[in-house]
Amino acid sequence: MKRFSLNKMLVWSLFGICVLWLVIPFTLAILWSFVDPSEPWTPDHLLPPVMSFARWEYLWEHSSLKVAMLNSYLLAPSAALLTLTLAMPTAYALGRLHFKGKEAVKLLVLLPLVVPGFVTAIFFTAILFQMGLHAWRFGAILFAHSILFLPYAIRIMSVSFEQVRQNHIDAARDLGATPFARWKVAYFPALKPGVMATLLIVFIYSIEEFAIAFIVGSPNFTTIPTLLFTNLGANFIRPNAAVISLILVVPNVVLMLFLERLLKSANPALSSGKG
Amino acid sequence: MNTVSVQNVSMRFGDFTAVDDVSFTVADGEFVTLLGPSGCGKTTLLNVVSGFLQPSAGKIEIGGVDVTFVPPEKRDTAMCFQSYALFPHLSVAENLQFGLKQKRLPAAERKQRLNDVAEKLDLVAQLEKLPNQLSGGQQQRVALGRALTMRPSVVLFDEPLSNLDAKLRESVRLEIRKIQADYNLAAIYVTHDQGEALAMSDRILIMRNGKIEQSGTPTEIYNFPQTSFVADFIGDANILDATIIGQESEDFWRVSTEIGELLVKSDTPPIAKRLKICWRPENAQFGAGEMNSIEAPITHRAFQGNYTDLFIEMNGVAQRVQWRRSHLEDITSLSMNIRPEDIIFLEAMT
Ligand SMILES: Nc1ncnc2c1ncn2[C@@H]1O[C@H](COP(=O)(O)OP(=O)(O)O)[C@@H](O)[C@H]1O
Ligand SMILES: [Mg+2]
Repeated sequence: MKRFSLNKMLVWSLFGICVLWLVIPFTLAILWSFVDPSEPWTPDHLLPPVMSFARWEYLWEHSSLKVAMLNSYLLAPSAALLTLTLAMPTAYALGRLHFKGKEAVKLLVLLPLVVPGFVTAIFFTAILFQMGLHAWRFGAILFAHSILFLPYAIRIMSVSFEQVRQNHIDAARDLGATPFARWKVAYFPALKPGVMATLLIVFIYSIEEFAIAFIVGSPNFTTIPTLLFTNLGANFIRPNAAVISLILVVPNVVLMLFLERLLKSANPALSSGKG
Repeated sequence: MNTVSVQNVSMRFGDFTAVDDVSFTVADGEFVTLLGPSGCGKTTLLNVVSGFLQPSAGKIEIGGVDVTFVPPEKRDTAMCFQSYALFPHLSVAENLQFGLKQKRLPAAERKQRLNDVAEKLDLVAQLEKLPNQLSGGQQQRVALGRALTMRPSVVLFDEPLSNLDAKLRESVRLEIRKIQADYNLAAIYVTHDQGEALAMSDRILIMRNGKIEQSGTPTEIYNFPQTSFVADFIGDANILDATIIGQESEDFWRVSTEIGELLVKSDTPPIAKRLKICWRPENAQFGAGEMNSIEAPITHRAFQGNYTDLFIEMNGVAQRVQWRRSHLEDITSLSMNIRPEDIIFLEAMT
């Protein structure tokens, strides 16, 4: 009986959290984005009095939304690929090699995560500009994102490299496989879920990253989050902000669900029966 | 002709010597087992033969060619791994053909070898499945098949049955032996299971601390162990400290031991005046005899099904006897004798 009520309590609190954090903000954002400019949504109405796609159309036509989306959706996949590539050597070393102080290195690699993003951003931009990257904003942000999200990528990929079984590598070799064939048959299947997870996570973080994109990019280079910010300042229009938030968040939610499915389905293929 | 020849091979990891000056040969169609306790260097030695490790000293020849520094992918050996090492995302058929594809054999030849092996190993119905849809025994057969499709001149086994349950192990044993004979392959088989070694091997090499302690056919090893380590590792043995007190005739010696004076018949003379001797628990003869009679109280017993282990104690020394008769309940002391030819001289005492 006691157990049952505890379960029930957990379910209800989970439900409450979902409502508070997901359902309410989302619903409000959607409703706000449909508020027609002709009639404001005042607190005495439960729903916006007039609803239309006017805000969506307006922002699409008259703001830098298109450019911002193009920038963000070019930046994020590039950052994902670059981060993955940069993470590989370290991840390989941490996952497959044995050396003294490995645990310390693992911790060290994660350390940058404790520094707040803005602090990193402010001082990082100084380095970027010293490197002469200020002329190429896209490159500067791409580089900064890759460095910033490297700890996540290294962490995920080194766990993936640990999953590669030495006896699969040895068996492939014993059967005459070239280094490339060995990689394909022994490494790749075990690394695949990690590669996908890394790409998706960096993609999502890069899409949402504001501090660096703003400090390095403004005022010429807009991404979706920096555009959102400009709609929050002096000329704050809630319905416009709602539209941009939704554009920012919805693809991420879809990707997250995809990632979840992927990680769930990835595991059974990893083990070969006993041993 | 010798397919494999291992010559004075040593393998050191830093200061630690895992394999210490080992030499042996394996002939065509011969099944040789490396037997020894865990950590004695069997896997290391096998990895030197397969090419995964380069020996610190010594030489490996396969088919008369020096392959000491040839990498495993270019060596004419095929390994059956302990945990099978099947590729989990490939079907059984793809696993079986993996090596053939690496060799770029024509499709027709691949198909023919695949069918041949699948038939011999009873895997025809499993070809489209993934490894984790198979039972342990089937996975084991796929691993064996994958090695056999390569038609290697030597097949290497590293404890291939240790993941199977006891009943299955016995049938797979026979199967491995049959297939190895069919293909007339040289085989090196690593195990720590003495039963497996005795049942399967043409020749057993007993390893201890990186060295070969004794080699011979299963019957030689069982009947004439040369050291107490071998006597104890293969089968059961009562090992005693003995001192030679005299030679009675050409091959009869009188020795004094903790359990009394014993007469020993041996073709080979004792190696030293003070040495170890042993006798097998199943060789106890019941009742008093003309020689080597022993009468001692039974301290405890353990029923084993087809026999009962009796532990007797003489002068503080426990000895084990296997009694193959029922109705033991009322016996509290045992009268028995050991035939002189059942006592074996072992190594000198240090
Ligand atoms: N790469 C290595 N580095 C250091 N020591 C090793 C290495 N491989 C094996 N050893 C050591 O060599 C000894 C023999 O190992 P192994 O050949 O695996 O034994 P077995 O197969 O007989 O159980 C063990 O003590 C093991 O710790
Ligand atoms: Mg081993």
